[in-house]
Amino acid sequence: MPKVTYISHDGAERQVELPAGWTLMQGATLNGIDGIEGECGGSCGCATCHVYVDERFADKLAPMSEVEDEMLDCTESPREANSRLGCQIKATPEIDGIIVRLPEAQS
Amino acid sequence: MFRFDPYSPVMDADPFPFYKTLRDEYPCFWSEEAGMWVYSRYADIVTALNDWETYSSAKGNLVDELPNRAGSTLGTTDPPRHDRLRALIQKAVTKRALDHIIEPARQSARKHLDALAGEKSFDFVNAFSSKVTVDLLFYLFDMPAEGQQTVRDKAVLMVQTDPKTRKKAPEHIAAYDWMVDYAAELIETRKKNPGQDLLSNFIAAEIDGEKLHDREVQMTITTLIMAGIESLSGFMGVMGLNLADHGDARRALVADPALIPDAMEESLRYNTSAQRFRRCLTKDQEVHGQQMKAGDFVMLAYGSGNRDERQFENPDVYDIARKPRGHLGFGGGVHACLGTAIARLACKTAFEEFLTRYPEFERVEQQLPWVPSSNFRSPMRLELAVG
Repeated sequence: MPKVTYISHDGAERQVELPAGWTLMQGATLNGIDGIEGECGGSCGCATCHVYVDERFADKLAPMSEVEDEMLDCTESPREANSRLGCQIKATPEIDGIIVRLPEAQS
Repeated sequence: MFRFDPYSPVMDADPFPFYKTLRDEYPCFWSEEAGMWVYSRYADIVTALNDWETYSSAKGNLVDELPNRAGSTLGTTDPPRHDRLRALIQKAVTKRALDHIIEPARQSARKHLDALAGEKSFDFVNAFSSKVTVDLLFYLFDMPAEGQQTVRDKAVLMVQTDPKTRKKAPEHIAAYDWMVDYAAELIETRKKNPGQDLLSNFIAAEIDGEKLHDREVQMTITTLIMAGIESLSGFMGVMGLNLADHGDARRALVADPALIPDAMEESLRYNTSAQRFRRCLTKDQEVHGQQMKAGDFVMLAYGSGNRDERQFENPDVYDIARKPRGHLGFGGGVHACLGTAIARLACKTAFEEFLTRYPEFERVEQQLPWVPSSNFRSPMRLELAVG
């Protein structure tokens, strides 16, 4: 199972294993990692699962859709070049070991 | 021999013991009555919701699909077209875009509560929750005020199934046909006089320079009206029921209304009105030792996943301090409910008003009349004693 490391805004680190195909948003909400909300349920409809992706993994991710791009304009914490929505990143063997940092606020 | 019959009135009233047997003994079960497989464990449902390539919605998402609907609504289209269609509506229904509905929802709640002044008991569903829901939807879609009651009656009928024939009965199809015609008239009027409302924007929208297909516009709007009215009212109905049955929880909310959202999330987990939806396999799959074929339908029992002890501790306890993140009350994945922010804002506002007016209430009937439906579960009537 692919591993994902979440680094909270206060620096706390958690690594979890996710079933293949589950999203980084689900990995956080189902493991009690509070820095991600996922209010819309994973439909790319709310921008409350905002993450900053470690640059070493940036080119391993599928490109973002137009909808994700638009939603990222609505994040509570500032959007950066490495900003993505956790619900749009699926855990796959290709991104095993991925590290994401969580923003100060989601809503 | 264990059977799982989603048409049975017993199931409408209390599906939870059946779900437990499914989860523990038959996690991938062929229901003869439904003519499809049933997933009941949280993890299997989430995996299916994530994998839309294998679990397609294009052949319909209702357990009993309505005629000519599959393939023409958000819920019955797969990506990439689904994502393009959804993007046309999504922005208007995000939390930030919906501040404007709070005051109308509050005024509506107060108006219908005022009308109940002096009553010792009343039907929460028909005298309050459905009235607030209809007011809000008519406001949001800027629909003509006349005929509110008829639109509501038809929306409630079209989601039902006949427990004996295990199909949509003629009156259910007739209600659906009525709603399709109603949507068509609305679209024609709006085309002539476009406004700034959500429907006008959708009607005028284009994808890659092409107008949406007529059927797409008509079926999507029909579905939005149905979901807006029936699902939101159903959600408030089960929330009202939970607060009637759990006095400690209700008193905690009265003492601190800031806890209402937590109670709502727990209601969405504990007894969501959206109990079961379906998908269609695009390829052969083996799950829990069962061989399934491409073309087979799979029922995703959200109501069971939400009570899965593998995911939620003491799942049969209604605990407003639980904060059940990741619950399936709104489904999940690309097809997660479009109206989550509307539902949450409306329900929160309605209960803030309701609990201020009625901090104490209890149910009058122990046996409730449940909506007969293979998809949804909510009481048709919830008589509450308040005096």
